[in-house]
Amino acid sequence: MNIKASFFLARTTILRGNKGTLIMTILIMTLAYVNLIFISSVFGGIVEAINEQSIKNLYSNIVIAPADDEVYIENKYAMDSIDTIPGIVASSAHYINNTLISYDANNDGNDVQRGKWIVKSVDVEDEIRVTQISDSMIEGEYLDSNDRDKIVIGKEIAGGHGGDLDYLSLGGVYVGDEIDIKFSNGIRRTYTIKGIFSTKNSQADQMAFVTTKEMESVLGVYNLASEVIVKINDDELGQEEKYIKQIRQTGLVDEDIKTWKQLTGFTSSASKSFTMISIILGAIGTVVAGVTIFIIIFVSIVNKRKQIGILKAIGMKESTIILSFVMQAIFYAVIGIIFGVSIILFLIRPFFINNPLDFPVGWVSLKITFNIIRISNISLVIAALIGGFIPAFRGTKESILDTIWG
Amino acid sequence: MIIEVKKLKKTYEGRVPTHALKEVSFGVKEGEFVALMGRSGSGKSTLLHQLGLLDAPTSGEIIIDGTNVIDFTEKQKTEFRLKKLGYVFQAYALLPELSALESVYLPLMLTGVSKAEYIKTATEMLEKVGLGERIHHLPKEMSGGEQQRVAIARALVNKPAILFADEPTANLDSESSETILKLFKKLNKDIGQTIIMVTHEPDDKKHVNRVIWLKDGVIRPEGT
Repeated sequence: MNIKASFFLARTTILRGNKGTLIMTILIMTLAYVNLIFISSVFGGIVEAINEQSIKNLYSNIVIAPADDEVYIENKYAMDSIDTIPGIVASSAHYINNTLISYDANNDGNDVQRGKWIVKSVDVEDEIRVTQISDSMIEGEYLDSNDRDKIVIGKEIAGGHGGDLDYLSLGGVYVGDEIDIKFSNGIRRTYTIKGIFSTKNSQADQMAFVTTKEMESVLGVYNLASEVIVKINDDELGQEEKYIKQIRQTGLVDEDIKTWKQLTGFTSSASKSFTMISIILGAIGTVVAGVTIFIIIFVSIVNKRKQIGILKAIGMKESTIILSFVMQAIFYAVIGIIFGVSIILFLIRPFFINNPLDFPVGWVSLKITFNIIRISNISLVIAALIGGFIPAFRGTKESILDTIWG
Repeated sequence: MIIEVKKLKKTYEGRVPTHALKEVSFGVKEGEFVALMGRSGSGKSTLLHQLGLLDAPTSGEIIIDGTNVIDFTEKQKTEFRLKKLGYVFQAYALLPELSALESVYLPLMLTGVSKAEYIKTATEMLEKVGLGERIHHLPKEMSGGEQQRVAIARALVNKPAILFADEPTANLDSESSETILKLFKKLNKDIGQTIIMVTHEPDDKKHVNRVIWLKDGVIRPEGT
């Protein structure tokens, strides 16, 4: 094989061949590449949105639950110590209660809307450092530390606010309305709705929040928690296990401590499904790109059949001829990648950052990672190698006389 | 003898086998300019293709420059074609994207010589065929005769032992044809280039040392 001669032939063919064909080929390669990246990035964005919603509104990064056979976490000292661990931003303790919430619009006992929902308590100052529910109010305000007869509820409980589960809701309640809550211990209280939130996570939107003081007065307990959620620094994501070890060293030895990933059963399977779909679509896109290159090189070889015969007749090895076509294919792929990356990074990505897609799981932008780009680059180059090699190999296997004189 | 051909047969298999060459035997001395002549279908091009290792005979022997080439592998044939044989085809056979200079230095590039050397040698070769002023022209910018001269320069640039020409003037006007044949004669005379040319033009006889007449795949005396 003579690499220099292969390169020479490939270069002259590209530079002096038909410019229209060259532009069209590069355009096709660019679109094939953008397609590869775009599909993967959209699904990556959806998975990220699902995960973000879980972290920001449900679990934060780490969830501490009571030990087996215990109702509450009782080690107040340990709970207070969590925030002192370097790398942990904050923690928020919750009481969790299964309640029956009812709303009597006309206060006449008729047409009362009711349903079972979870009510959690929050220490407001801690909570706003750990979750983003306080930033998701679509009506009214979030709780204050001293609120006692106030409650904030998710839009799926309220109804009439564009939720997906309106048929299970209170039928449309608004800020200022009063709702009755029957707690699991039988105590009933009336609360004024202070705010309604919408997080784009229907699980979060099916919860209601009161202050810790209020919940402790209902439950008759003090300085305990049904769960503690812990937020770590954003740049420590993925290091949750390390922090769980440190949390255990504070004294929470028997408590059930899990990462957000372990708790996202549905979302985790959805993520896996999206990842699988992304891989399948990526594979199809790669095959399409490979077939496109195959067709381009095949047509080129059909048009250059006689020239291939002449090259063989003057003593050029088949491997040198094949390599020249493979080099052309790789050139098309590399230029397609360069243009594709430019379009993705400088046109499509900024557009979707400014105009994210409205999905039920959240606002979805493109998640373009180095890994996606790397895999797409390798896929396209391999597709080019195969798509260029096969027709070139077949083309050079014809006899010299057949190629020259047909 | 630079070429010795012994009982060379070529049969094209099919429902009815075609015997294109029937035990042809002859020899060509080094420095000879030989014309293979005969009517259409006589087997002259088939013979040239066997001698030039472009096709494989059914049986017989071909000894070129002391080497029996019959049992060569494809790889050996390719190497032999590059270093020992040169070809000029009927229809110019230039690559449209390559300039005259690039067309001529391509075979040299394949032998692995330096860039400076292959450019120098190719330029000299183009000057020899009278195209010193046209080295950067593409085939589409040259006449048929000029293109054929580029093809001749390309065939000779590796200093082949034998130059094969398959009806090199068939597509040229009479003036260009005369130029090409004179060039062949000059090369034969000046540098002792062995040339075997297929032609059907009776007038071409005047330029060659010897004519091998073929009829129905057999060498015959002229006029029979």
